[in-house]
Amino acid sequence: MNVQSQERGYVSMSDTLIAHWKDVGTRALLKEVLTLGGERTTATTIWQVSLLGLVISLAIAFYMLVTEGHAAFNTNSWGVTWGLPISTYVFFVLTSTGLTFLASLAMIFGFDEFYPVAKRCVWLALATLVAGFATLALELGHPFRMLWAVPTGFQYRSPMFWMGVFYTLYLLLLLLKFVKIHGGDWDSRASRYLGISSFVSVVIAHSTLGLLFGMMAMRPMWYDGMLPVYFLITAAMSGAAFAVFFTYLAYGFSQERMPEKLRALASGSALPNVFATLIGITILATVSRTITGLWSNMDGLEVYQLLVRSPMYHFEFWAGLVVPFVLMLSPTLQRQAGMQILSAALVMASLFMGRLEFVVSGQLVPMFKGSALGLYQYAPSMTEWMLALVGIFLTFALYAFGEKLLDLSAQPARA
Amino acid sequence: MKLDILNTAISRRRFLQVSGVTGAAAAAGLGLEQVTGQVVTDAKATAAESKTVITKNVCNQCPARCGVDVYTTDGRVHAMYGSLESPISNGKLCPKGYLGAYILYDPDRFKGPMKRTNPKKGRDEDPKFVPISWDEALKTVADRLNALRDKGESHRFALLFGRGWGASDAGLLGTFGRVYGSPNAAIGHSSTCADASKKAKRLLDGNYDYNAYDYANTNYMLIFGASFLEAYRPYNNNLQVWGHIRTKSPKTKVTAVDVHWNTTISGADRALLIKPGTDGALALAIAHVILTEGLWDRNFVGDFKDAVNRFKVGEATLNPADFNEKWTKGLVEWWNAELKDRTPKWAAGITTIAERDIVTVARELATTKPAMVLFERGPTAHSNGVYNGMAIHALNALIGSMYAEGGLMNQMGVPYGKLPVSSDDFMDEYAKSDDRKQYPRIDLVGKDWLMASNQIQAIPAHHLAGKPYKLDTILFYMTAPIYSAPEARKWEEALQTMYVIDTSPFPGETAMFADLVLPDHTYLERLQDAPTYPFQGWPMATLRVPAVKPLYDTKVFGDTLIEIGKRIKGPMGEYYKALGSTENVIKHLAKGFEDKPGTNSVNSFESWKEKGVWYKKPYLWRQVRGEFYEWDGTGYNKPMKPEDVKAKLLKTKSGKFEFKSSYLEDEHYAEYVHEKTGVPLERVGFPQWVEPKFYGGGDLHFISPKVALQAEGRAGNLPHATTIAQPVVGGKKTIYDGDRVRIKSEVGRIEAIARHYEGVRPDTVILPNILGHWAQGRWARQNRLPTGSASEVIVNKSEPISGLASYYATKVTVERV
Amino acid sequence: MAKWGMVIDLEKCTGCQACTAACAMENNRQPGENWQDVIYFTEGEYPSVQVKWFPRPCMHCENPSCVHVCPTRATYKTDEGFVLIDWDRCIGCKYCMIACPYGVRFYTDEKPLVGPDIKTVFKSNDEHSWNPPWKMPDSREDWKHGVGVQPRDVVSKCTFCYHRVSKAPKGTPDLSEHDPKTREYTPACVVACPPTARYFGDLDNPESEVSKMISNKNGVRLLDQLGNKPQVYYLTGVGGAVPSNRAIKKT
Repeated sequence: MNVQSQERGYVSMSDTLIAHWKDVGTRALLKEVLTLGGERTTATTIWQVSLLGLVISLAIAFYMLVTEGHAAFNTNSWGVTWGLPISTYVFFVLTSTGLTFLASLAMIFGFDEFYPVAKRCVWLALATLVAGFATLALELGHPFRMLWAVPTGFQYRSPMFWMGVFYTLYLLLLLLKFVKIHGGDWDSRASRYLGISSFVSVVIAHSTLGLLFGMMAMRPMWYDGMLPVYFLITAAMSGAAFAVFFTYLAYGFSQERMPEKLRALASGSALPNVFATLIGITILATVSRTITGLWSNMDGLEVYQLLVRSPMYHFEFWAGLVVPFVLMLSPTLQRQAGMQILSAALVMASLFMGRLEFVVSGQLVPMFKGSALGLYQYAPSMTEWMLALVGIFLTFALYAFGEKLLDLSAQPARA
Repeated sequence: MKLDILNTAISRRRFLQVSGVTGAAAAAGLGLEQVTGQVVTDAKATAAESKTVITKNVCNQCPARCGVDVYTTDGRVHAMYGSLESPISNGKLCPKGYLGAYILYDPDRFKGPMKRTNPKKGRDEDPKFVPISWDEALKTVADRLNALRDKGESHRFALLFGRGWGASDAGLLGTFGRVYGSPNAAIGHSSTCADASKKAKRLLDGNYDYNAYDYANTNYMLIFGASFLEAYRPYNNNLQVWGHIRTKSPKTKVTAVDVHWNTTISGADRALLIKPGTDGALALAIAHVILTEGLWDRNFVGDFKDAVNRFKVGEATLNPADFNEKWTKGLVEWWNAELKDRTPKWAAGITTIAERDIVTVARELATTKPAMVLFERGPTAHSNGVYNGMAIHALNALIGSMYAEGGLMNQMGVPYGKLPVSSDDFMDEYAKSDDRKQYPRIDLVGKDWLMASNQIQAIPAHHLAGKPYKLDTILFYMTAPIYSAPEARKWEEALQTMYVIDTSPFPGETAMFADLVLPDHTYLERLQDAPTYPFQGWPMATLRVPAVKPLYDTKVFGDTLIEIGKRIKGPMGEYYKALGSTENVIKHLAKGFEDKPGTNSVNSFESWKEKGVWYKKPYLWRQVRGEFYEWDGTGYNKPMKPEDVKAKLLKTKSGKFEFKSSYLEDEHYAEYVHEKTGVPLERVGFPQWVEPKFYGGGDLHFISPKVALQAEGRAGNLPHATTIAQPVVGGKKTIYDGDRVRIKSEVGRIEAIARHYEGVRPDTVILPNILGHWAQGRWARQNRLPTGSASEVIVNKSEPISGLASYYATKVTVERV
Repeated sequence: MAKWGMVIDLEKCTGCQACTAACAMENNRQPGENWQDVIYFTEGEYPSVQVKWFPRPCMHCENPSCVHVCPTRATYKTDEGFVLIDWDRCIGCKYCMIACPYGVRFYTDEKPLVGPDIKTVFKSNDEHSWNPPWKMPDSREDWKHGVGVQPRDVVSKCTFCYHRVSKAPKGTPDLSEHDPKTREYTPACVVACPPTARYFGDLDNPESEVSKMISNKNGVRLLDQLGNKPQVYYLTGVGGAVPSNRAIKKT
């Protein structure tokens, strides 16, 4: 199918949808939307629950934003300016990056054993990216203004500008790539180029996100030219965790229900080994950052003293990194479904907290020691939690939608 | 600005939105939008184009009288800056000065006269005010006053005032009491202010007033508890002076004495953190060093006849005849009776200040010329306040700074024109009768309090006890002892059994207990005169010119008083009808400038309004190396005879600066002082060390200083004032940093958030007296910590000579809630 | 073209906050939205305590990190050295607030420091974030330069009183509040400063008072190691100043 006919196909699809609506009436259509048609599966339940969650969290968030505006956040000008919504955005877009990496293993780098998860990863990459963008849009003061002000401003010095450019590009390429593989075109020249381009664009996009923090010399806790590399590793780890978790979710947390090739991947050692390697590097990076922070006398790094005293940090490190690392290294445990799921869930939770910790810690030390008594304090407000939930429910809803309607288990016929 | 602004104000439309005190938020918010919205549109409709008008005003945030340029565009006041024409402001204002527009547009303002409908009074009782017309309000007051007079009980009406401004408000009060026939109209707030420093000066140099200072030319300042960089008048000018003296050549050196590390101490070259109440001991030791080291100013003080210094430590009694005193009196007697034993070592034991520091300060003070010593409430709001003050002020004579360049002066008065009528012609038989004279003042000043000017803090106890009698009606103008007087809660009790009239434009603690509210204009709406507080000696009178028409149905207090007066039966009513209005009064005051045009050429009401200030430089007298000269038009060239000096400057019995106060030794007072202070009769006249007494039963000295953003009585409801950072306050011992604590004494308790602050003596806790307003409006109400004012904890004890409340003599305990 | 800059003489500064209060009034700031602030801090133990302070306006850096990070160029630097915000372009991403080492930027919609929120007490019926009855004349408001009462959800900051300074006659070396001819063009904080600790003028004009003071009294810049090169200089008084670890070049 060439691009033109594809476009026509979408036009006729929307025509068909409208015609369908006219045919069956609003109620029936609504029912179809709520059930996504077909027989009831786990995905249907996930779709319904997350749709409900999305509607509720969005409703609360909108209500607060309309009545109180962004004053409903616990962020402020003299202390923590970027809070949970930003860290949630970072969490999701880096996860998207990682999922693209995982998909690319098969599609670009020739690790064919990863084909069984490729399409799901691409779709999840889209889902998490959209979830991240949604959270960010609700956090921004004027999200719609961004659409014209960023391109016309063309502030090439700003990492945020490039982040916008490349994540947008990435979104488009990823979408096109998904359309390709959804149409069964895994290996055409165009499809391969799309895959490579989306991989390259996301590497650059996530690097600009890393630099967005890493270039801030005035905030030593973030200031690190290697931050994009750190983000790369943790993004990959995040993607792997999502891939494992959602793949199992698709098959009712059971290897037995998986198709053969996928089961081979799941019960083999390749996936756990990749996962363990990523976790191991992350542990190394975390330890080295923490030791540097504790050792250095530099203003702004005092926050590490606070971090190592916080239970959250230790949960992230021990439960969220060390435990999965051990589980995924162990030759016997690493192949067990339960251990893989547990590790994935722990890593996901750890990363979600870690992103918050990273974003917030860079802002906790007052710029001038006189301007506050000790470190700033920050806990997200209810509205901010709602924004995070919007992202989470959106991810689940989109996943379920894809699972149900887009055949995420598909893989190239030759594979 | 049109002249008839006051007349149009009176007939303005009424707004019925009323700011009931406890339930004000909704109603007042509504009122403000509607009302100010309308004013703005009115102005827009009439003004063809946006034109910014600058009117002259006088800041209301402290007594200093800083000239203000008020910027108004389209009927909206949007900026205020110091007036370049004002010699105090010189184009500058202190941080408080910029709060004016917030006060004008305060959404919680009273919108017009109101009466109480809830007979029950209390902190938690909504007064349930209902709006009434000015006619009804004024008639209500007049009826009460007429009825009291008919019963021969006019003494049961009291008028209490605080920050009076000039002849057109506070200046009218005494007359009102005299023609009406009440000894209690009016009683000032000075005994809760700074009477002890004035009294100490009265006893030594004969001037019952604060001093004027020539800061710009001084090379050394020794500051005792005067918060020079936070609150000392005129604060704005002090700050300007600071920029000058700290960068001029030579740089002025500053030593500051206080009990906590405040801005003044931080800015100073040397900080002396003294034990509360012991400043007098430090001053006496400094005097001791100055004498024993022979550093006194011989031109002003004189010398031993043979020029040999006989002031030696512990030296046996010296003969006064051996010393030729010039402009002082009693130095050798003072040495014999007091100073000879007041060694630095002795003082170190009392003050906790190191001996070495005392000696160094004494040497610097006496050898740097010119130098000056200043002090205020810190050392004097104690049981020994006047003697502390005398010991400190005596240093100014020893170093020869009285009337010298870079030294101290007295403030000259303003040559105002006469009022159109004299109240003497309107005293009726009732007011003049002997029957009236039998009633003492409610505060028993002149009876129990022989030497004090006021004893406002005694009123609740006297009223409640019916001794000497019970008050019937009480009117408050610019004072709120219910918040600020010691044992403040006693006022809440007392005001339940009086008919209370409040005249503040704003809700406040007094209004919570008011039966009638007659709201004043805010200051940007007023036409009002205000002669300067002591500044640089030469006379000055400032003028408030309304920047906008009154936003609401309010009335300037002077007119409220005149309108009440007009409604009193008999000649009194006639007097006020003849007086007319405050505008008429001010026009007559300005006539005084016609033959005495100011340095800035102001010579009429019109030119006064244009410039906002009349002043006439220079100060007329100066002491130069022990000789006094008068200004002759070109310089201080005309030598003064001792009798001129006595008449114009050193107004003591001897015409000298008296180290042995003849006033205190006067038979009227000596016995009283002896009885009240325990000082032996033969010693009462000397500046001396008297052990301070402490009350309240706690273990921490409780100090409640003023801070820089303490906008006159109103900062508690100005979010812009409360969100500007100030240096940390708290206590070193308040180890419960960030915790809610209870501060308690035998008379009361309040709760506050404690802050650990290393800059406080370990035996002291600090709570600024700006905090703890509980009824000022929506912001004050929502931010209710501390739970009450410092005054609720302070024991009501007063220094016997001045009558000044011993604000800093209470000791408290601090405990976690 | 002038390059406007400020000198703050810390020896004269009394920490009184008149600058802060005047700025809030002139620029219609919310309570606590102190474009200009005085920062206090204490060190040491009783009785050897230090209480220090310094006033902190926007530094209007020569090399402003806030401008560099702004994705829409809502924050920009003018030829005359002002760092300003165009409220019609600001998307409220707050990245500039993250990137400013001096903490001088404020987001409009935050929990009020003291309740009730003054924005609800003086509610706006239009696109303004609130409607203070004392707001500046309508004709002065200039959102392109971040002057006036801002709309919701944007970042605001000290403009060096752009609305005053930009009207100064070209070629003026110094804007002094003491001179009636230049007073109305002088920034509010400078006009207000009682001890005259603040000076404002053209850093590029070697004859200006500010240029001479920086040179004579060893002007230093805050957090100079970050290289933002503030156009606000501090004089730390007699006895020499701590040298910055960068050469002080005005360009």
